Amino acid sequence: MLDTYREVVTPEGVALRLPAAGPVPRALAWGIDLCIRLVLLFIGGLVFGLLGDGGMGAYLVVMFLLLWFYHVAFEAMWDGRTPGKRALGLRVVASNGAPVGWMGSFLRNLLRTVDMLPVGYAFGLVASYADPWGRRLGDMVAGTLVVHDVRRHDTATTPPEPAMAPPEPLLPHEQAAMVAFAERAPRLTAARQAELADLAQPLTGQHGAAGVARLYGIANWLLGRR
Amino acid sequence: MSQAATVRQERFVERHQAEWVALEAWLDARSSAREARANRRGWSGMADHEMPARYRRLCQQLALARRRGYSPAVTDRLQEIMQRGHGLLYRAPRPRWRRALEFLFAGFPRLVRAEPGCMAAAAALFWLPLIAIYVAIQLRPELASALFPPEQLAEFERMYDPNGAVQKLGRSAETDLTMFGYYIYNNVSIGFRTFASGLLFGLGSIAVLISNGVMIGGVAGHLQAVGHGDPFWRFVAGHSAPELNAIWIAGGAGLRMGLNLVAPGQRRRIDALVDGGIRGAKICMGVLFMLVFAAFVEAFWSSISSIPAWIKYGVGAGLWLLVGAWLWLGGRNPDVAIEDRIES
Repeated sequence: MLDTYREVVTPEGVALRLPAAGPVPRALAWGIDLCIRLVLLFIGGLVFGLLGDGGMGAYLVVMFLLLWFYHVAFEAMWDGRTPGKRALGLRVVASNGAPVGWMGSFLRNLLRTVDMLPVGYAFGLVASYADPWGRRLGDMVAGTLVVHDVRRHDTATTPPEPAMAPPEPLLPHEQAAMVAFAERAPRLTAARQAELADLAQPLTGQHGAAGVARLYGIANWLLGRR
Repeated sequence: MSQAATVRQERFVERHQAEWVALEAWLDARSSAREARANRRGWSGMADHEMPARYRRLCQQLALARRRGYSPAVTDRLQEIMQRGHGLLYRAPRPRWRRALEFLFAGFPRLVRAEPGCMAAAAALFWLPLIAIYVAIQLRPELASALFPPEQLAEFERMYDPNGAVQKLGRSAETDLTMFGYYIYNNVSIGFRTFASGLLFGLGSIAVLISNGVMIGGVAGHLQAVGHGDPFWRFVAGHSAPELNAIWIAGGAGLRMGLNLVAPGQRRRIDALVDGGIRGAKICMGVLFMLVFAAFVEAFWSSISSIPAWIKYGVGAGLWLLVGAWLWLGGRNPDVAIEDRIES
């Protein structure tokens, strides 16, 4: 399977489709968080440096908190997002789709220690490529999952081509493909629209722009605009 | 034709649009409890108590939309609303201070006692090398130079020199506060790693436990052998109970997790791992408390050199008794046990 949706059946009996995130956006998010932590450490070093010897102790405590609790605090209190994850549109959820709790977040971040081994998150990388939902070892043990935030499709309105019945009955997934094409194609270039429409040539019997218009017509008919 | 029988997507959206907009507006405005309390008066949209019913209706509509093959524009939007509602309805309860105290006094000792095998193994892996190395160095003092490089040995000796110019025990001129920060940073990190490395089939925890036992036994043995025993024992007596016991408890939790990976029993391997992991994470919260307490004692009590030795040893022994009693007797209350079983 190429898509990385994890389907979770909720108590209402409907499948929640969670789009699992792969290692690359997660590594980028981790990098952003690392930069933020380094900046905080630097600022902390300046401030506590002014306070003398006692400040050094406070600085070490801040270092400890940033090392072990930076991710936990953000994930547990900010809907499963650290600043880096937010920038990349990621979110940590429990594997049943519910928000991640304190314990889950604490555990998955404790186990970073193991995912980092032997060098440069190698274990985590291998695990997340081997796992169908891109989880690293810490995620598997904590029962968590990193997902992409659902992105809102702002529906482009289908051009008002005259509705037209398809020349032969279409199967449900074919109907869905028609409608999906009509909703998304207006945002593509004309050449790409034509290229995609040519795939449906056996159905439309037309080529190029005429084929695109045909498909819009069929979609409008399917959508009930007649 | 089947296409004519189903409701067209356009009309489906038209019919339910108002409901979805109301639910979205509710989620935008009301999902945070604090905001909801602040704007209790001004809210004029959907009533809060209607939310579960509305949410279930939406789930039905999503299932219907998927079955009829409506386009992603519709199903994705419904799924987004559903996901937000799901997160709200099925979120975990907030942690409470009362629960945290209950865990500390009852839950944690009970978790430790629930794994007698792993905890005993971890204690043995830590204490046996410690004692063996200590005894070996008493018999053959030159063994210490095989464990540590000479400059490190010199550093240990300087730190606990009974005739030295250093006023405080076990440290040079840094302040107590600095050392407090250092102990927290260093010791808690060691504790957490001792647990986490158990995920490597338990081997990581075993390695950390043995190496820590050898190191501590080596330092203690060397200082005793060269005649710096008195300042050293006076320094470590106070914080030894919470600190040393925290390390092997963390290791025991790591062993449990590793063992669940190797031999999951009649469960799926991943289920066994999740179980061992969650127990381990809870134990790590207790370990965190023990080590922070130890750091406090070590920084602000152990370092005072003006207190006579017998008080220091007395406090040390008292803490050993307290930690022992806490781990052995804590949470042996049957009423709490039942309540805890229901909640977890």
